[in-house]
Amino acid sequence: MLNLRSLVRAGTILVLCVYTAFAAGPFVWAATLSLRTTSEIALDHFALPGILHWEKFPAAWYGSNYHVYFGNSLFVVLTAVAVVTVAGAMAAHCFARYRFRLNRVVYFAIFSTIIFPPQITILALYQILVQYGLYNSLVGLALVYVAIQLPLTVYILESFFARIPSDLFDAARMDGYSEWEIFWRVSLPIAFPAIATTVILNTILLWNEFLYAVVLITDDNNRTLPLGIQRFMGDQLEDVGMIATGLMIAIVPVILVYAFFSEKLIQGMTAGAVK
Amino acid sequence: MTDTVRRAGRGFGRIVAALGLAAAFAVAPQPAKSQELTMWSHWAAEQIKRKFVEDAIERFEKANPGVKIKPTWYEKTALYAALKTALRAGTAPDLIYAEPDQAEYYENGLLLDLADVNWGNVEPWAKQAWAYKGKAYGLPLEAWTVEIYYNKKLMADLGVTVPASLQFSAEQFLDVVKKAKAKGITPLAIGVGDRPFPGAHLTHEALVKKLGVGDYDKLLKGKLPWTDPRVVDTLKYVRSLVDAGALPNTFTSLKLGEAHTYFHTNPGALMFLNGSWYTSRAFNEPDKGGQPKDFPLGIMKFPAMAGGACNECKTLAAGGSYVVNAATKHPKQAVAFLNSMATPEVGNIWLQNVLVQTGIKSDASKITGPHAGYFKNLEAVNTGTTYYFGIPIQVLSGKPKEVFTQVFNNAFPAGTISVEDAIKQMSAAY
Amino acid sequence: MQPPSPPHHPGERQPWGAITAFLLPALLLYAGFTCYPVLRTWWNSFHKVLPRRPDEFLGLANYEALLLQDDIFWRAVKNTLTWASISPLVEVSLGLLLALALYAKIPGARLFRIAWFTPVLMSYVVVGILWVWIYNFDWGAANAILRAVGLKSLAHAWLGDPKVALPSLVFITSWMWTGFNMVVLLAALHSLPSEVLEAAELDNCGWGRKLVFVIVPLVKPTILNLIVLSFIGKMKIFDLVWITTKGGPLWATETVSTYLYKRAFEWTSFDLGYPSTIATVWFVIVLGSVLLLSWAFRQRQKLEY
Repeated sequence: MLNLRSLVRAGTILVLCVYTAFAAGPFVWAATLSLRTTSEIALDHFALPGILHWEKFPAAWYGSNYHVYFGNSLFVVLTAVAVVTVAGAMAAHCFARYRFRLNRVVYFAIFSTIIFPPQITILALYQILVQYGLYNSLVGLALVYVAIQLPLTVYILESFFARIPSDLFDAARMDGYSEWEIFWRVSLPIAFPAIATTVILNTILLWNEFLYAVVLITDDNNRTLPLGIQRFMGDQLEDVGMIATGLMIAIVPVILVYAFFSEKLIQGMTAGAVK
Repeated sequence: MTDTVRRAGRGFGRIVAALGLAAAFAVAPQPAKSQELTMWSHWAAEQIKRKFVEDAIERFEKANPGVKIKPTWYEKTALYAALKTALRAGTAPDLIYAEPDQAEYYENGLLLDLADVNWGNVEPWAKQAWAYKGKAYGLPLEAWTVEIYYNKKLMADLGVTVPASLQFSAEQFLDVVKKAKAKGITPLAIGVGDRPFPGAHLTHEALVKKLGVGDYDKLLKGKLPWTDPRVVDTLKYVRSLVDAGALPNTFTSLKLGEAHTYFHTNPGALMFLNGSWYTSRAFNEPDKGGQPKDFPLGIMKFPAMAGGACNECKTLAAGGSYVVNAATKHPKQAVAFLNSMATPEVGNIWLQNVLVQTGIKSDASKITGPHAGYFKNLEAVNTGTTYYFGIPIQVLSGKPKEVFTQVFNNAFPAGTISVEDAIKQMSAAY
Repeated sequence: MQPPSPPHHPGERQPWGAITAFLLPALLLYAGFTCYPVLRTWWNSFHKVLPRRPDEFLGLANYEALLLQDDIFWRAVKNTLTWASISPLVEVSLGLLLALALYAKIPGARLFRIAWFTPVLMSYVVVGILWVWIYNFDWGAANAILRAVGLKSLAHAWLGDPKVALPSLVFITSWMWTGFNMVVLLAALHSLPSEVLEAAELDNCGWGRKLVFVIVPLVKPTILNLIVLSFIGKMKIFDLVWITTKGGPLWATETVSTYLYKRAFEWTSFDLGYPSTIATVWFVIVLGSVLLLSWAFRQRQKLEY
């Protein structure tokens, strides 16, 4: 009986190891490609790098405009995340703290857009940004990003704010705090973990966003990283080695964020689904 | 919010502008501001064509002090995507690269009527490619034919001699394909990974020969049924090439640039069915995707169809052209720039350097230099030819175009759709 | 995904000034970048929308053409719905098995968890490019493995053959999202009261019975949420298809998103009206199916309790 049990256990671990190779394999493979030159890759696509061609990273960074794409992504994502966090937190605080008519109606109206397919807004957003003169601009893209991440942010924060005991607020009010100070000096500090979660989650989702960017940005100098990578799937010789280097440049920041904040991130991503 | 921000922004902008203007007048009268025209063009990676345009710009700027042209080079797919949004948004540049299949540009009034171009220096059929309702909208620099390039050495190794007429019969051609395949050589390098037309060359070149220009035109325009026995026969023949393994295994994902290297470098194919703009990539340096030095390049005609109405028929298409944005603020300068290229001398420079036909009237006999021989060969396969103008996707639009592309560029040559199904799809598309 | 119950703060007055101030930024963004575009899309769908000229009212013509004549659209709908119904089942069930394995305190669980989660961190663009390479006929890993184990005849141009292209793409999304589902389910398992599971242990029922009768019912709300989440995700899928196949070959991988993009930005027309009709019809279909799913899940729950 015991023997059978350990056999099953060993089998399970074996299956899991195979699955692990399958899940992480492509990433590891891309990492090896990023350090090899295209001609080395052409000889054997699955060899480990012999000489580590670290120089490919600066080459891609400057030579292939990745420093521009990276900077654009950084700007758009940081701006959008900052705005959506502040606007989302204010709204969430309001929904959680104040009882007013239409509270639930407005909350649900915003929340329900989580399930909207992007198709329903994207063409009109294109027209609207053109009219506002925000088409093909990073600011315009950032504003759109704020709008698409707003429902999720409000949803996560509201459920957290709602759990803060109201005694705390009553006490603050006794101390003569204004409504704004209550939000700023009571709600926000307590909600810090939840806010960190939304920040990390939004950062990763927006860092990877492609559809809105491809419709709303045309200028090469305004491309974000996903667009920049796509550009390198050019029609000349496909430079596999260089593209792989570009892929790594796009992945590494996300992996770093994940490495440092994995618990928070998982909390964030699971927040909507668990319960 | 955005609306108020915009209004506030505009107000602020006005104040700044006013202050700036005031300052400008207060300090000194400004010198005449130089005019800068923007231009978006394909050919980012096609160095020879790009150099031709850059030289033209340089000459133009020298002759017209104070006018500058600022080009941005794109890959074609990226350019088209950018233009589709930018033209609609009114943020497109003054000068634009376009090809005659982009009828939607002039149909929607987005292009400037080029009445002031020296059309006397342009081939009439090339002007026709850009004509719409009595006006013409593009200067066709590039013109091209569909050719079969081949590797002379591999051909000789197979023990095959290309006939003096430079044209195999359909049967002989099928035989060559089978011979190459038996020796493990890919007979025809074609890839449709990133273009909507290379795979279709196989079908439309066969069809135009079988049907002749008139009936072929009717077929494309939906006036001759796709169930016509001649069409069925031709498709069956093309299918037999496909079944004989004429195309690379990677056909569906192979990109245009890769197909070039597939043919001349790695792994090497016997033949390459391609537009005569082959040179614009192949004559680059080898490390920039060009063919190896001393590559034994041959050109032959597309095979004659059995019982073909017009085996000397082939496709001539206007390709890379420049058009002017209707919303440009500098229409005169833009047209002047086009005119600076529409001269026989510049046409000859194009032929000499780019080695692709042109819509500008020019004289091929004046070509000298290392590639004069190549151009002679190109002329040889084009003597006595009757042309049909435009490849199918330039002639078709809307749903027939989409279906034609899906079926004949991709599925049919890939062997994933039968002759019957292909005909059924096309018949339902009109 | 259920909105929490309304907050209860008894005896509070309504500081309307503060409420307005707190809500204003979010509401303006919501109105300007969500409501207005939705309405405008809806309005567009009844018009021909061309650049540099006033919109032309068409009545229901666009709807008629789309619903009655556009077989490419219906193909795209079929592909997308297929994708959206297969993916959640694969991802969630595999995710649950993996989560159970980790829950059973396998050695190296932390490492496994991190490795399985990585695919979801990469963007669809990155994933798409990687898998185009993996599926490459000549040198891709998929065919390399098949050839190595002697199944050479199974080697395919995976994205080039209309018969296998869609399954190949579905496979990619499953690869990407299974780890995510596993992590969520693992969190759900860990939040279960341990007594329940211990009780089941004492009853000495086998793993299979325990799974079906104890564990699945307990984490059912999570499972249902994950199914809806995965379903919605696949109903909007665009990036992956655009990078890999652009909807080809022969529309085998055309999704509603790619078709809409093609009609708006690649078709030989500048008309935004027709693609807006696609968007509107699709919006109704998505909304309808999500509501239907939630309703069906609620019905089942009612029946069981």
